[in-house]
Amino acid sequence: MEVQLIKIEKRNDVSRSIYFLTPVLAIFLTLFGGGIIFYILGFNPIEALKFFFITPISDLYGLSELLVKATPLCLIAIGLSFCFKSNNWNIGAEGQLIFGGIVGGGVALLFYDHNGFYVLPIIILSGAIGGMLFAMIPAILKTYFNTNEILVSLMLVYVAKLLLDYLVVGPWSNPEGFNFPETRQFSESARMPILFDGLRIHAGIFITLITVFLSWLILYKTYLGFQIKVSGLSLKTAKYAGFKGKTMIIIVFMISGACAGLAGVGEITGPIGQLHRNISPDYGFTAIIVAFLGRLNPVGIIFASLIVALTYLGAETAQIFLQVPKYTGQVFQGMILFFLLGSDYLLFFKIKFLSLKKNEL
Amino acid sequence: MNTKLKVSEISKIYPGCVANDKVSLEFGSGRIYALLGENGAGKSTLVKILSGVVKPDEGQVFLNNEIIKLNSPLEAKKNNIGMVFQHFNLFETLSVFENLSIDSDKNDEDLRVLVNDILKKYNFKIDLDIPVLNLSAGQKQKVEIIRCLIRNPKVLIMDEPTSVLTEQETDDLFISLKQFSKDGILIIYITHKLKEVLSLCDEVAVMRKGKVVSVSNTIDEKIESLANKMVGENLNTIKKKINNFKNSEEILKISNLNFKSDDPYETNLNNLNLSLKKGECLGIAGISGNGQNELFQILSGEIITEGTSIMFRNKEIGKLNPRERREYLMAFSPEDRISQAAVPELKIYENVALNNFKSSNFFEKGLVNEKKIKEHAKKILSNFAVNTDNVELKSQFLSGGNLQKLIIGRELITSPELLVCFNPTWGLDVGAINYIHETLIQINEQGKSSILISTDNDELLKLSDHICVIYKGKLSKIMNADTVTAEKLGILMGGGSID
Repeated sequence: MEVQLIKIEKRNDVSRSIYFLTPVLAIFLTLFGGGIIFYILGFNPIEALKFFFITPISDLYGLSELLVKATPLCLIAIGLSFCFKSNNWNIGAEGQLIFGGIVGGGVALLFYDHNGFYVLPIIILSGAIGGMLFAMIPAILKTYFNTNEILVSLMLVYVAKLLLDYLVVGPWSNPEGFNFPETRQFSESARMPILFDGLRIHAGIFITLITVFLSWLILYKTYLGFQIKVSGLSLKTAKYAGFKGKTMIIIVFMISGACAGLAGVGEITGPIGQLHRNISPDYGFTAIIVAFLGRLNPVGIIFASLIVALTYLGAETAQIFLQVPKYTGQVFQGMILFFLLGSDYLLFFKIKFLSLKKNEL
Repeated sequence: MNTKLKVSEISKIYPGCVANDKVSLEFGSGRIYALLGENGAGKSTLVKILSGVVKPDEGQVFLNNEIIKLNSPLEAKKNNIGMVFQHFNLFETLSVFENLSIDSDKNDEDLRVLVNDILKKYNFKIDLDIPVLNLSAGQKQKVEIIRCLIRNPKVLIMDEPTSVLTEQETDDLFISLKQFSKDGILIIYITHKLKEVLSLCDEVAVMRKGKVVSVSNTIDEKIESLANKMVGENLNTIKKKINNFKNSEEILKISNLNFKSDDPYETNLNNLNLSLKKGECLGIAGISGNGQNELFQILSGEIITEGTSIMFRNKEIGKLNPRERREYLMAFSPEDRISQAAVPELKIYENVALNNFKSSNFFEKGLVNEKKIKEHAKKILSNFAVNTDNVELKSQFLSGGNLQKLIIGRELITSPELLVCFNPTWGLDVGAINYIHETLIQINEQGKSSILISTDNDELLKLSDHICVIYKGKLSKIMNADTVTAEKLGILMGGGSID
């Protein structure tokens, strides 16, 4: 009897261009996979994919919406790249986003009858600090009590969600809001300036772009960035070089939490304008995909955030024109990650087929 | 039935290293044979050839006067040669019986009968239906042995089997091995522990640097004589440097240092004391795994201890991390050059930046001073004869020798007062070894001190002024290198005591 054996061997070297091309391959595979799913659902795959990926951005309003969605994704993913590059697995950005939103929103409510240029910066800053403090919980527990940051950061997401729920239903609910689970509308001074009349794109995009630039600077031009890089490649080497491991863990979590908090405050002062239960369509989780699709590289993350933002828009158009649930967007996001991990495997390993006779086993 | 196993003129050459040099040995059933030698003596290569894992470049293996080809572990099994490796090859989550049946072509019922017979015969007490992960190390080893016994082996090879066992388990193992031998199985026992050779084996072959240097009956041997043979008798003929540090000041002092690890795979260190003068090289010998790793980390600051236990240039440094110790002009070259001393994925100049401390000015006000690092890296590449001048090259493209030169160069270019190195020449070719040795002698001549932790005795005797031996986390007394004989070194390394 003959048996097929699969042998997996490590590749010696990976060229840089292939490293950045596999995400593109993953996207094409996702389109292909999506086409098959649409076909099984009884749609013309080409038509359906066109509704999903072309229609949403075929006008100015669509492009503006794309940037509105990409703004928080890019911001969170950039923050996460600090954690992921240094082998810290913060997957609770969603919680940090919500907590940043709560703190920023709280401050906005405090100023609901104030007007003045100083209101918005205070709100933005307090949102960033809120996210940062929330991210420090898993960091401190990890460094001083050896807990697993994946579990702690993930579970804290639900803590933040329930806290938001409680606040918008209870103490912070709008006194004139007929018991709807939402707060007052923020004052005009507490809102992000709109860039163009009639479009929702707001000044938050500048915060994101500045953060991307600063991150690039920190990651590639500073001692902190060097420490992050070395720790990510070899913890043994980091220890041998005398890097202060605990301090670094806390710093990367702080950066990552601040970015998520900024994203949260950008959402509530931008397109939303108040606090309610659903201030984020899981941007914090989706940003994990964005970070990896962008290869944890600031420029890569900009492109990745645009592509993933498109899946949000596509899902909405598909819901309208094809009557499929908007969760199709999550299916596409899942497929992107799936194919990315798959093609990464081929990046580092090659597969060989061997055939053996059974009695040789 | 008598079994005769003969290896004839076996040679195996690895790049830069002759692992087996025309090895010829004969074994006969009913006796237990010891294969004794230090790390790198060639004993593992020889048994890997016998078990089909490695193919020899030259030479033949005869079983009962017939040439056998051992091109794969399968062929070794077919020829009834069984092998128990130092590290177990068991599926932890499968039961004992499942582990045994994977390897067998018998049906489950027959196999169970057979295994139960073996258990009864040799008085092994193992529950066949519990997962392997619940077994002790000794019991796992028994499962490996049973796996060999199922195939009715003529030859059973044990590779350093006692390194994971407790004393009680070791006694049990020896009783079983003697029983197998009585039942006609030829046993080859690989070890570097001298006492075990004398208490278990009938005949001992000593290997050194790929050659068989002696074959004798253990009745005729004593610990001293075996130690002599294992380490080599004419070591004193190696030319040593002139030491000129006699009257210089003390630079490093370690007193009453203890280290207790939470990790069961690490070695605890007990009551270490040592002192080092300016311009002196202290060699620390020992079989690997006796606490060298932990000692290196304590010296480098990767393991922090009490401040007072380590004094360097009259300062308490026990609590300082590696970066802070570098500030006091210490330098470190770890054993693992690929995943600790350097990162292969980083460029050469980035690896150079790992040796950073405040006065290196590689990072100013938190920013990378790339220009300065690159200048520095260029200097290292040319001063230390690394065969590239491209500081942008990824380090993974450097050969072992060139990478080690880069690491030593990186550590030395800041003119440290003390260099601690751990096996600086393992796996290197002769040219690179000589270069590193010359460099290490040079720094002593310039009045700088060094600590050389090494498992290569020739290297230790060539470079050290004083030598001590580490065994199970304890340091022997420090001896003048001139007075160290192979016998003394061998006894200490094998766990004996002198004087």
